[in-house]
Amino acid sequence: MSETLQQLLDISIFWEYRTVLLRGLAVNFYVFVCAAIVALSLGLGAALLRVSRRRPLRALGTLHVEIFRNAPDYVMVVWVHFVLPLLIGTLLHTRFELNPFVSAIIALGFVYSGYFAETFRAGIEAVPIGQIEAGRSCGMSDRHILWRIVLPQVVRRMLPESINQFISLFKATTIVSLIAVPDLMYQVSMITQQEMRPLPLYTGAALVYFAVILVASYALRAASERWRNKIFA
Amino acid sequence: MSEVPTIRVVDVHKRFGSLEVLKGVSFEVHRGNVVSMIGASGSGKSTLLRCINHLETPTTGDIFIEGESLCFRGDAAGSRAPRPLSEINRMRRDLGTVFQQFNLWPHMTVLGNVIEAPNRVRGLSRKAAAQLGGECLARVHLEDKALEYPARLSGGQQQRVAIARALAMQPKVMLFDEPTSSLDPELTDEVLGVMRELAADGTTMIVVTHEMGFAREVSDRVMFLHNGLIEEEGPPDQMFGAPKSERFRQFIAKYLY
Ligand SMILES: Nc1ncnc2c1ncn2[C@@H]1O[C@H](COP(=O)(O)OP(=O)(O)OP(=O)(O)O)[C@@H](O)[C@H]1O
Ligand SMILES: [Mg+2]
Repeated sequence: MSETLQQLLDISIFWEYRTVLLRGLAVNFYVFVCAAIVALSLGLGAALLRVSRRRPLRALGTLHVEIFRNAPDYVMVVWVHFVLPLLIGTLLHTRFELNPFVSAIIALGFVYSGYFAETFRAGIEAVPIGQIEAGRSCGMSDRHILWRIVLPQVVRRMLPESINQFISLFKATTIVSLIAVPDLMYQVSMITQQEMRPLPLYTGAALVYFAVILVASYALRAASERWRNKIFA
Repeated sequence: MSEVPTIRVVDVHKRFGSLEVLKGVSFEVHRGNVVSMIGASGSGKSTLLRCINHLETPTTGDIFIEGESLCFRGDAAGSRAPRPLSEINRMRRDLGTVFQQFNLWPHMTVLGNVIEAPNRVRGLSRKAAAQLGGECLARVHLEDKALEYPARLSGGQQQRVAIARALAMQPKVMLFDEPTSSLDPELTDEVLGVMRELAADGTTMIVVTHEMGFAREVSDRVMFLHNGLIEEEGPPDQMFGAPKSERFRQFIAKYLY
């Protein structure tokens, strides 16, 4: 009995498959970084729309935020991968398919752009109008003010909250195995099918994710505090 | 005087919805002159200053900077089109503004604040801008704080950095909107001291202030604004010595006792 338990828990199988599993983890990171870039760019765009002086643009920004912030990431991944190509294919009268990587990155990027847009917007609105007027009075263009005065402060202000969002996004990358993106979870389920030993494999995966996220979030928080303290004393 | 005035304000009206805040203000400021603008809260002083640097667009009227219209671009045929923002930004380089709330950029060092616009708006090299920035910081006696961040400075020091930042644009005129109103009394003097030195150096200045002593001693001309109109103006000795309008008399009485 105790021997079976020991065998069940024996995590060494994880070590045997380390190259495959590491490759899977690398895929998680790859999807994470690409989706984060998409989410940050779209989020900034939507936030700028939301603080625009023109009402239709503001409405467009709000629409973007509300749609994607309220879409469950799992549903979005499935929808983008299976439904979107059908729609495009029908419209263009051709067969159209999306690479699972692309689907995953688009879906997660859009969902998280909804969250980042709100963080960006709060950060932009926290910059006192007087600082912007000081820039205008020196003859700065709006673009100059955005890039040199507003965004550098927004980034510093956003850091604590966005670290949490980056962590959520990283966790969300584990659902891409559902559309056969070969990430760590995908590799683990493949190996489980051969080895029939789910317990050590899934436990190992959980431990790896846990360790990665814990270390990364501590490092990021410490770095961001040091950087912020200089100006928001 | 045949010289073109540095600033000429011509019949400026400004409305916010149904509220008419400026009701036709005209005046001129010549090179090297210091003009103090005083008046009760809500009389339109800030609004007038904000029209001069085009943070507000006058409803009607115009402002001329060394003879050039700020609000309109006229062509040879005599038609007038509103001036595009890019040209307004170019003209703003000639106006240095100091606000009540300092409005320094907190993520930049003191020197960074001062050289940002000379470097990236006027296009000076970083080295030339740093040289100029150092000189401007010396004029406000803060050369040793160049590498500090604004959050580490006192209010008086922050306001002096803001003055240096405006000076670094080498403007034709400096606009001050109550530069000492958010400072503790003991910090007011160091800022007023710097402004006196600027005036003595021949800087053209328009100063909105509640500091009657400063207005009286430093300005060439005082303007008293009341309900969106210049109620009385003249040299300070005449204004304070023999006020003509009853309202101005009441206004200064509050500062004397
Ligand atoms: N953007 C705006 N929208 C609506 N009303 C405004 C706006 N800016 C100023 N006002 C109004 O215009 C009037 C004049 O304001 P202004 O700030 O020019 O007065 P001020 O003379 O500078 O007063 P203070 O000494 O308090 O600074 C006030 O009644 C103010 O409420
Ligand atoms: Mg005011």
